[in-house]
Amino acid sequence: MVLLQISEPGESPDLSLTRSIAVGIDLGTTNSLIAQFDGAQVRVFEDELGQPSLPSVVHYGAESTQVGGAALALANEQPENTIASAKRMLGRAREEVVDDPYASLTTDGALAFATDQGKKTPVEVSAAILDALKIRAEAHLESPIAGAVITVPAYFDDAQRQATRQAAELAGIKVLRLLNEPTAAAVAYGLDEQAEESSLLAVYDLGGGTFDISILRMRAGLFEVLATGGDSALGGDDFDREIAQYAMTQLGITDPTSRQRRTLLSLARHAKQALSESSDVHIDGSGLGSDVPPLSLTRHTLETLIEPYIERTLIACRQALNDAGVESVDRVVLVGGSTRTPAVAQAVAACFGQTPLSTLDPDQVVAMGAARQADILIGNRSDNDALLLDVIPLSLGLETYGGLAERIIDRNSTIPIARAQEFTTARDGQTGLVVHVVQGERERVADCRSLATFELKGIPPMVAGAARIEVTFRVDADGILEVSAVEQQTGARSEVVVKPAFGLDELDITDMLKASYEFAAEDMVARKLAEAGVEAEALIEGLRAALAQDGDLLDSDEAQTLQEEMARLEQVLQQTDVETIRERTEKLGRASETFAARRMDRSIQSALRGISVGQLDAESAE
Amino acid sequence: MRREFHGLTVNATAGAVARDYFSLFNIEPSFTVDEITLEQVYHSLLSQFHPDRYAGKPQVEQRVAAQLCADINAGYRTLQREVSRAQYLLQHSGVDLQTAEREGVGAEFLMTQILLRERLETIAELDQVEHQTLVDEIDEHYGASRDRFAEAAQKAAWQEASRYWQEMCYLEKLVDATGSRGR
Repeated sequence: MVLLQISEPGESPDLSLTRSIAVGIDLGTTNSLIAQFDGAQVRVFEDELGQPSLPSVVHYGAESTQVGGAALALANEQPENTIASAKRMLGRAREEVVDDPYASLTTDGALAFATDQGKKTPVEVSAAILDALKIRAEAHLESPIAGAVITVPAYFDDAQRQATRQAAELAGIKVLRLLNEPTAAAVAYGLDEQAEESSLLAVYDLGGGTFDISILRMRAGLFEVLATGGDSALGGDDFDREIAQYAMTQLGITDPTSRQRRTLLSLARHAKQALSESSDVHIDGSGLGSDVPPLSLTRHTLETLIEPYIERTLIACRQALNDAGVESVDRVVLVGGSTRTPAVAQAVAACFGQTPLSTLDPDQVVAMGAARQADILIGNRSDNDALLLDVIPLSLGLETYGGLAERIIDRNSTIPIARAQEFTTARDGQTGLVVHVVQGERERVADCRSLATFELKGIPPMVAGAARIEVTFRVDADGILEVSAVEQQTGARSEVVVKPAFGLDELDITDMLKASYEFAAEDMVARKLAEAGVEAEALIEGLRAALAQDGDLLDSDEAQTLQEEMARLEQVLQQTDVETIRERTEKLGRASETFAARRMDRSIQSALRGISVGQLDAESAE
Repeated sequence: MRREFHGLTVNATAGAVARDYFSLFNIEPSFTVDEITLEQVYHSLLSQFHPDRYAGKPQVEQRVAAQLCADINAGYRTLQREVSRAQYLLQHSGVDLQTAEREGVGAEFLMTQILLRERLETIAELDQVEHQTLVDEIDEHYGASRDRFAEAAQKAAWQEASRYWQEMCYLEKLVDATGSRGR
């Protein structure tokens, strides 16, 4: 899981010789894809049958685990062992998904599916899909991948993002960045490079089972999500059902068998796809029974059938525009296979008053954008590329006296961000408090989404209002939150990294990692050792170079401490104990933190050289 | 059990200020800030120190970059908006905001503010003309308080400036309440 580090030229030449391979992954509700940008173009990796899309379905049978098409084929036979649409349940609590058709949820606290292989959580299911994609890409590339950009819906909250990261970790994939799906689509079209002026963008994403609309503002590499909307139970599958229903009525089938139903849906899907090209098709009903005649379907009939669904997406579009506080947008991008239906594209064009961008394959556009961004992040391109800055979609805060939510970080703050706020006790002699972290825009905690709760104990008894408790919220570049609370006088401290409310803790993950490598225990040890060694050596080499360049930033004591830590790490590198190497690497990392911070402070000055306009000159004395 | 522990109240304006934002952005501590320069500096800092630029570097550098970037973002947010910039300048100059808040604004301003708020509440939602007139009026008041703040800050008359800063806070909240726009 360790990433080979790409150092600056000259720092560690032996590591920077090869072009690092980073991929983009679209982990979708219905289908998933993996793609790579090779410096010239994006390749979407296909399976042996030439299919770029991997159905996001996993089958946990008594004998074996299947992913993708093979799992989908078993869905009717063994529905309880076959899990589809796990993404809908990622990072969600059980009560939030009660309306889901998947009934095989167990009730002992965690959200999981009972299968012949035991309980499987949505994180594990997603990990299995990611693993299958990784294997596919590595087979094509004949090389391991160094990292990945994984896309998530713009509306994904902290817990859902964290769960996505966990799935990647389980699959042994280093996440370079979680990227919002609409942002990825814009990157695929190169819109991030064009956006000199501030411009508005709508991303209309109609997949098989979900519809998302996002309104973004782009300004010099900054992507701001202004509004998101949609319907998590609306998509091309609804079109298929309508056509199947229509065919049944026309053919006089009143009580179809489940086999007939499946055949009808399959015929419907093919008819729908054919009608994207031609104006009428014949549905061959011979698969439904010996005396079933062929049926003709025109594009016009199709459009009448699906019109209500399209209208529902347009209502969501207008709502999103309204939420964003804008009347129109400069560009519209189409994402999702269902936008191939001409009536959909026409309706979107009419709604936004312009022809949408649709030259890239709408099924692949998100993965393509992710691949481009992954290539930049892994360091294969010059660093003049636009930076994708995301904002947090919802405000973060905590519960204060009286059940009110106090906002700490406002929505639309550019991330990463950290903010501290001081609080005090409400009652005399109060020695502890509960920090209840919430997400949302509403004033009352009851109307916000609860993210985490933790306790701070050990506050010395004082009169109400005398204690000073500093609560710090930190959100990293992926939108993942960490909260800490410190009582200023005693230094009593407590913190939490916000995890999916009903997800997995670190220990679970470690256990699962062990289990998944059970049969290759020796391989795993060797791999971990190699990874730990690479990381340790890269750190040492990086530090050597840094010391040579900026050694004057340390006094002799500090320099000596650092040298000693480096020597200790080098010593343990000879050993074969992974944990010892990791521990020492971590220690050296901590010991060099101040040095790294000072080096960055120094480079701030050089970063500002060249924009010496007006008032900047006045500061040059410093 | 939870109720037992629960109970947090907010210390409104007390917040830790770890890094000097003026020096981070390489500008003079002043209320007058060239917004274009500020944005340029912001972009240039971010494009160098964003964690994405450290995706393949040792963890220690990633951590430090993330912290620095958080400061850059927080600093930009603070300096970009007038009310928060004014507040930050006061803190930066050693003004105790809690003391300042206890002293409050003048009775005259308080009255003006209450009257404006009352008018806002009585305007029928549909009367757009009257609404717009009031929005313009609040805007004018805000502009006056801001200019007075700038003048006082220029002279380092911090006690006076604190009062105008509070006026700006009141008026900004009023602007928010009109639903016309944020500042």
